[in-house]
Amino acid sequence: MASSSSSGITFKLHPLVIVNISDHYTRLKAQTLHSGESSSCAPPSNGGTAGSAPPAPPRVFGCVIGVQRGRTVEIFNSFELLFDSKTHTLDRAFLEKKQELYKKVFPTFYILGWYSTGSDVEEADMLIHRSLMDINENPIYVLLNPAIIHSQKDLPISIYETELHVIDGNPQLIFVKSSYNIETVEAERISVDHVAHLKPSDGGSAATQLAAHLTGIHSAIKMLNSRVRVLHQYLVAMQRGEIPLDNSLLRQVLSLLRRLPAIESEKFQDEFLMEFNDTLLMTYLAMFTNCTGTMNDVVEKFNIAYDRHSRRGGRTAFI
Amino acid sequence: MASSSSSSSSSSSSAAALRRWELENQIAGSEEADRDLIYWYDEAANSRAQQEKPWSTDPHFFKKVKVSALALLKMVVHARSGGSIEVMGLMQGKTLGDTILVMDAFALPVEGTETRVNAQADAYEYMVDYSTTNKQVARPENVVGWYHSHPGYGCWLSGIDVSTQMLNQQFQEPFLAVVIDPTRTVSAGKVDIGAFRTYPQGYKPPDDPVSEYQTIPLNKIEDFGVHCKQYYALDITYFKSSLDSHLLDLLWNKYWVNTLSSSPILASRDYVAGQIFDLADKLEQAENQMASARYGSYMSSSQRKKEPEESQLTKITRDSSKITAEQVHGLMSQVIKDILFNSSRYHQCTADPSGPEPMVEA
Repeated sequence: MASSSSSGITFKLHPLVIVNISDHYTRLKAQTLHSGESSSCAPPSNGGTAGSAPPAPPRVFGCVIGVQRGRTVEIFNSFELLFDSKTHTLDRAFLEKKQELYKKVFPTFYILGWYSTGSDVEEADMLIHRSLMDINENPIYVLLNPAIIHSQKDLPISIYETELHVIDGNPQLIFVKSSYNIETVEAERISVDHVAHLKPSDGGSAATQLAAHLTGIHSAIKMLNSRVRVLHQYLVAMQRGEIPLDNSLLRQVLSLLRRLPAIESEKFQDEFLMEFNDTLLMTYLAMFTNCTGTMNDVVEKFNIAYDRHSRRGGRTAFI
Repeated sequence: MASSSSSSSSSSSSAAALRRWELENQIAGSEEADRDLIYWYDEAANSRAQQEKPWSTDPHFFKKVKVSALALLKMVVHARSGGSIEVMGLMQGKTLGDTILVMDAFALPVEGTETRVNAQADAYEYMVDYSTTNKQVARPENVVGWYHSHPGYGCWLSGIDVSTQMLNQQFQEPFLAVVIDPTRTVSAGKVDIGAFRTYPQGYKPPDDPVSEYQTIPLNKIEDFGVHCKQYYALDITYFKSSLDSHLLDLLWNKYWVNTLSSSPILASRDYVAGQIFDLADKLEQAENQMASARYGSYMSSSQRKKEPEESQLTKITRDSSKITAEQVHGLMSQVIKDILFNSSRYHQCTADPSGPEPMVEA
């Protein structure tokens, strides 16, 4: 849960950032793979091999931007940065230029930290982190692990903050991992869903749209069900004594159960039924319109078939 | 899509859906290496294409558009962030035969108004700056089109859009126009997007099939009708890299909460109300037209063309069904959530032993 973040700050990550970082990495990988050994853009900075083996995929660097409101840090977007591997510093002028550009389009966002790819935090990262400290006094570091491991269940993204710890008598900054949530706006969710789950992209019939909508909800409920089952099995095992008792976990489960039912007041019932009735009314109206249309068609056809004023005169010509 | 509740079937059904999609979109070589090949910017092939210019001879040359996941996400988020104001931006990419590939998109800092033709001049400096910075970070693609949003009134090109695009197609070929409607996206639960290219002045297109019907509000329908023959729509498909698909799959682990908690009814309340108003206006218009036509038809012979009024009423019927279907979908989500999370109420009323019970007793 979010309570494991030591500084008490909750992080919210938008999927756009994730896709951004992944795209940057893929681009760079494609460029370096195809430009051959003579490529000079972003040489692997973590001691990649040269010569016979294919070069290790280069690390990408960039900046994350977003909004910080009180204790919540929401990361909305990101952009790429230039990294000088010889001096291990970020290109400052470039950063400022990009920041200006992004400020014009998204005036409410400001720099929250930086991102990179790799499997783990490295020594050199602290230097970069420090250099960003003059823009934001507590920058965050988003690390994406681009290795595709199919058995992985969790997002390979970690967010690190820095903390001042006293090690061997010297106060030093170390990276501390924090947890985060995925936050999204409705439009973002729909487009991610669209690309990820390949929903039908055109109108289709009403039946396919209904099927698509319900399938989405069905998958979500299935996930909920599987998580609840896991909890259930865990609790049963605890009851049987197979697993040592963990009181804090039990307390959390209890608080979760206490939250059901979610809302149970008169007012909610009224509002809910009103919405229900409104929708039913809309369905009624739509059906009415449909019937009117059909009726109109019938009347028109009737008029054509039984038109008394036609030149041919009367019904007989049409039988 | 099987509805059995074992978790393995979900992965197999999604794998089946993936294979079907790839088949439909003719994605050759779905191995990871091939999929990522599309991200390589081939200088030589691109400059060759620029010199040959096969599009200058055939106005209908480009038929398909492939949009990357990143570009789509960026465009939709930007369009939505504008609220009810039109926003615009540029797209970068390259061409591949008769397909335009859109790799990335970026927003332009211009306020959208109906007189957007002049605003493009302001944005040039931004564009130049942005392009130079992009080239430094391994994104050497050129600008290949522009996009803008039509919040709430559908994906089509207005008169100003058509003239802007025609100008672009004269000087900045290859160029593509994309329109996104973020309001309808949220309301319908699927992305409302359209890609267009205009015909050159005076070109008479062979009758191409009418694209998917969409309802246009009354105040814009004239603009739509005047210009709808001057451009044609291209097919849009999407692609993503192997890392993208991997991440998006994993993202679902955290995402399902949002799917369940989204309530489309609340989000698009204004839009639905607006649509109903519009429908009412259209109905009145249709009624007046029909009333006047009826008196006319008694005088003249029965060969009089009755199509205008009939098709208008059918159109209205279709619109009303669509809006109602969306509303009903939203309501279904609400009812499902109510049953899931407010179950104790039902538990007390009915002795229904299935479904909600395990959650209360667990």
